Amino acid sequence: MMDSGFDRRDFLKVMGWSGAAVALSGCGNTSIEDGKETLVSYVEAVDYQIPGVGVYYNSSCAQCDAGCSINGKVREGRVLKLEGNPASAINRGKMCGLGQAGVQHHYNPDRLREPLLRNGGSGETITWEKAYALISEKLKGVSGEEIAFLSGVVSGHLKVLLGNYLSSLGSKNHFVYEALAPGVVRAANKKAYGVEMPRYNISKAKVVLSFGADFLGAWVSPVHFSQQYAQFRKGVDGQRGVLIQVEPKMTLTGANADRWVPIRPGTEGILALGIINALGIATGDIAAAVKGYDKARVSKETGVPPGHIDKIAAILKLRSPSLVLAGGAAEGYAHGSQNAAAINLLNHVLGNVGKTVEASAAVPFPQMAPAKGNTAALKSLNDGLAEGKYKVLFNYAANPVFTAPGAMKFKDNMAKAGFKVAFAHYMDETALQADLVLPLESALEDWGTQVPEYMAEGAQINILQPLMENVHPNTRSIGDILLALLKQSRAEEYKNYEDFYAYLRSALVQNKAALGGHAMDEDAFWNETLTKGIIKLVGTTAALSGKAGISGLKLPAPAEIDEQYPLQLIPSVNISLRDGRHTNQPWLQESPDPLTTIVWDSWMEIHPKKAAELGIVEGDIVEITSRIGSIKTQAYLFPGIHPDAISVPIGQGHEAMGRYAKGYGVNPLKIMDAVFDRETGELAMHETRVKVSKTGQRVIVVKDESAAGAKQIREKIAGRVYTDNVDLTKEV
Amino acid sequence: MSISNLLENWSKFRHTHPVDDKPHDPYKWAMSIDLDACSGCNACSVACYAENNLPVVGKEKYAHGQVMHWMRIEHYWDEDVGEEGGREFPDQGAQFLPMMCQQCEAAPCETVCPVGATNHTEDGLNSQIYNRCIGSRYCSANCPYKVRYFNWFNYPTTDNVWPAEMVQQLNPDVTVRGKGVMEKCTFCVQRLRAAEVTAKSEGRLVHDGEVQTACQQACPTSAISFGNLVDQESRVHRQWRAQQVELDKDKQAKDDHEEPSELRGYRILENMRPYPSVMYLERVRESAI
Repeated sequence: MMDSGFDRRDFLKVMGWSGAAVALSGCGNTSIEDGKETLVSYVEAVDYQIPGVGVYYNSSCAQCDAGCSINGKVREGRVLKLEGNPASAINRGKMCGLGQAGVQHHYNPDRLREPLLRNGGSGETITWEKAYALISEKLKGVSGEEIAFLSGVVSGHLKVLLGNYLSSLGSKNHFVYEALAPGVVRAANKKAYGVEMPRYNISKAKVVLSFGADFLGAWVSPVHFSQQYAQFRKGVDGQRGVLIQVEPKMTLTGANADRWVPIRPGTEGILALGIINALGIATGDIAAAVKGYDKARVSKETGVPPGHIDKIAAILKLRSPSLVLAGGAAEGYAHGSQNAAAINLLNHVLGNVGKTVEASAAVPFPQMAPAKGNTAALKSLNDGLAEGKYKVLFNYAANPVFTAPGAMKFKDNMAKAGFKVAFAHYMDETALQADLVLPLESALEDWGTQVPEYMAEGAQINILQPLMENVHPNTRSIGDILLALLKQSRAEEYKNYEDFYAYLRSALVQNKAALGGHAMDEDAFWNETLTKGIIKLVGTTAALSGKAGISGLKLPAPAEIDEQYPLQLIPSVNISLRDGRHTNQPWLQESPDPLTTIVWDSWMEIHPKKAAELGIVEGDIVEITSRIGSIKTQAYLFPGIHPDAISVPIGQGHEAMGRYAKGYGVNPLKIMDAVFDRETGELAMHETRVKVSKTGQRVIVVKDESAAGAKQIREKIAGRVYTDNVDLTKEV
Repeated sequence: MSISNLLENWSKFRHTHPVDDKPHDPYKWAMSIDLDACSGCNACSVACYAENNLPVVGKEKYAHGQVMHWMRIEHYWDEDVGEEGGREFPDQGAQFLPMMCQQCEAAPCETVCPVGATNHTEDGLNSQIYNRCIGSRYCSANCPYKVRYFNWFNYPTTDNVWPAEMVQQLNPDVTVRGKGVMEKCTFCVQRLRAAEVTAKSEGRLVHDGEVQTACQQACPTSAISFGNLVDQESRVHRQWRAQQVELDKDKQAKDDHEEPSELRGYRILENMRPYPSVMYLERVRESAI
C-alpha cells in the first residue's frame, strides 16, 4: 500500500499530467532496437522506484458502474494487476472477473490511437487541433435543440463538465442510456420506498426472495452483494440465510439458491400477490386486493406448484426480517412496473422496509450524483433522430448501434444526423457510423471522480487517477476533450485550467473542508485524497417515504401463447460480457459462462423437454425468428429454463470492435421487438416472442463441462448437506 | 544437483509424504474452500490468468481441450435433473466447485516424471520445474484431478495471445512458458517465496494473512482461505482442525459414523491416497424449503 515514504507528487509529475517526464512505458514494443525509443537509465530513476518491486496505487474500476475501488500493482512504470482496495465499503478488497480484465482494456491491441475523420468508407488520421476546429466549425449556426449528446452513466466532475459544455452550446439534449439499466425497478422503488435505489441489507435478512435479481452475477453492485451474501449464508442468530430465486431462466444467483422456482415468464407479479394472500397478514386494501389471488389460481397462472407457494409463505412468516428483490427478469414486460410494484409490496407487508430495505446515503453534492441511464432516453433520442431533429450528435460510453433493439433501426436513424462525433476506445459499431472518432484514454490512464449509484455504507466519491503513462500517446482524456471544447466558447471562464487534472484538483481542493480535509493544507489534502483513492463522506440520507399502496396495481392475465411465435425470448445478461462493451477482452471471452460453461460464442438455452418436442439436440444450429428478424446459433439443452422460454446471452455478435469480439456469436438484441413498459416507457427486454427451427447443421459446443456431466461414477466431488445437520455459526 | 551429491545424500533428499520422519516445518501451505460461500462467479479464475501469465488459447484450441485455466470452476447438476423420470428442473440450483492443483502430499504425478521435473518442496508444494520438463505428459495422465495443463503451442509467439501491448501486462515474477512443458497451479509460489524471504530477513515466520493467493484475494465471497497448516493459529489450521480433517489420513475418523455429521470438511478422492492439501467444505441447502 501507500506507506512507503516517497514523494507522491513526483510520481504524478511523471505518470499523470504533462507526460513530458521520463517515458516509463518500458519494454514490450521492442522499438529500442530500431532506435525509436530511448533507454532511460535507472541512475536517474525517481526515488520511489525500485526495479523488481511493485508499488500499489488506488484508483477506481470503470468496467461497470458499481464503483468498486481498485488497488493497481505498478512495476517499472507498467500496471500489471488490479486488486480490490480493502478500504472501500463497496468491494472491500474484492474484485470480479470483469473488473480484473480492466488491464486488458488498457493494453488492448485494438484500441483507437489517433483521431479519425471519415473519408468515404475509411477513416483518415487527423490531428487533435484539426478535430477540435472541425467540431467548432460544424457547431457554427447550429442551435442548441439541434445538438444531442448520448452517453452512458456519467457522474462526478465529468458530469459537471459535460453539463457545462452542453449549456455553453445552449443544448438540453443529454440522453443517458444504459442498455441494461434497472429502470423500471428504480421507478417502482421510488414509489414504494421514496428512493430509486435503497440499501438492500442482504446480510441482515434471514430469507431473501428474489424475483430475477441476479445480485451475485450482474445486478447493480454484484461484488458488494456477493460479500453480503457470504455473511447472509453464515447467518444471523445462528440461522443460515435462505435464498429463494424466482425466475424463468436460471441466473448465477438462481444457481446458488436453496430453492430455484421456475415461473412462467411475466407472471412474477401474480406470484407476489399470491404469496401476500397466502401469508394472510395483510389488512385493509391490500388484503381485499389480493383476495382473488388464491393458491389454485396463482398456481395455474404462474406454473408454480401450490406446495411451493405454501412453503415460501411459511418460511417468510417464520423467519423475519426477510428481503424481497425485484430484478431484471420481473421488470422486462409491458407490465413490468406492475410486477415490480407487486413485488415491492411484499416487502411492506412483511415489514422489511426500514429493516432490510434501508435508506441509502447520497453524496451531498447533487450535481455530482450519477446521471442514470435508461432505455426510454434512447427511444426519445431515436425518435428525434428519425425526425431529422439533430444536426450534431455526440456519443460517449454507449454503443447503441449494437445494443438498441433491432426494431428501433437506430443505425439508420443515426445516419440522419448531420455530423456525428464518437468519443471511443474501440472502433465499435457506433464509432463506425460516426464522422469523427476521437480516441480516449483508458480508465487506468485517466483522471476523474466517480459517484456510484449504489452506496454501500455512508457516501463516497471515488477517485480515478492514472496508474501509468498513456499506452498510446495520442489518446486523450474525455475530461481534457470536454474542457478543450468548452474553451471554444468560454475561454475566459476556463483559462485557469490547463487541463482536466487542474480542473479536478482545483474543484476538490476548493471544497476540502466539506470533503473532510479542513485541517489540512491543500497539498496534504490532495495527496491524501490520491493516496486513499476514496473520499468518504457522511452523506445525506433520504428517509424512506413510500407507502404500501395497492391502488393502481393491476396485473394482466398471463399472455396467451402466440401460435406463430410460441416461445418467449430471454436475452440473458452474461456475468462478464454484460452489454457487450467488454467483449474484446480475451480473458472474458475465455471465462466460461457459469451456467453453461460455454466460451467464445453465443448459444440458445432450451429446456430438454422442449428440445425433445422440437427434435433439437445439443449443438444443433437453430434459427430463432421473431417478427423483426432472425439469428442463428447453437442449441444448448439447459434444464434451468422454463419450457415456454428460450434464452440467448447478450454481449456477443459484434460486427466490429476488435479481434477478440468481431465475428463471435450473435446478438439477440437485433431481433428484439420494441415493446415498452406502459408506465415508465422503458424497453421491455423479455417481451419478444420467437419461433425456433432447426437448420440441419450441427456443431460441437465449445464448453468446459465434461460430457459425463453429473453422471460420473465417483466419490464425493461436490458434496452437499442440509441445514438440519449443520450449524455454521460454530465453524471457524 | 550433481548425481554424486544425490547418491551420497540420498536419505536427506528422499522422503515419503506425508511424512513422520521429517514433517513440514516451518511451513506447509494449504487451502480450504467453502462451497457454501462459492457462487461460481469465475473471479478466481480470471485472477489466476492475470497473476500467472496464462495464455488465452482461443475458441479452436479450447474445443480441442487445450485451455490453460489453472483454476477452473467445475459445475455439477443433480444427477436426476432433466432425465427421464427425474426432476424437470434443477430446483436446488447447481453446484460449483473451484478446482486447481490440490498440491498433494503424495502426488501421483511426481512419481511418474521421468526427469524429476515435478517434485515436492519443503514447504509442501507440488512444484513444476519448467526447464527440466521434457513434455512426456505422464504426470497429466496420472493426475486424478486433471489439473495439469500442457503447452501444445508456443504461446508467446502465437498470434493474438500476447500482442505487443499485452506483453506489458505480463507478471515479471512469473515465467512465460514455452512450447512442450507442463504447467499447473503453484499456489502462487512467487507470492509465497517473497513472503517467506521477507519474513526470514526479519527473523520471523510468515504471519497468517500476510500472503494471499491471487484467487483468494479476488474471491468476492471470501470462500477461499489459505495459509500455513503448521501454524496452529492460522485460519486454515483452525478450519482443518474444526472439521477434523487430517492431512496424513486417507480416511477421516468422522467418516466412520453412520449418522449424518455436522462436519462439512472433506477432501476430493481422498481414498486414492494422494493426501491433497485442499479441504473443501460441503455446500449447505435449506431443509425447510
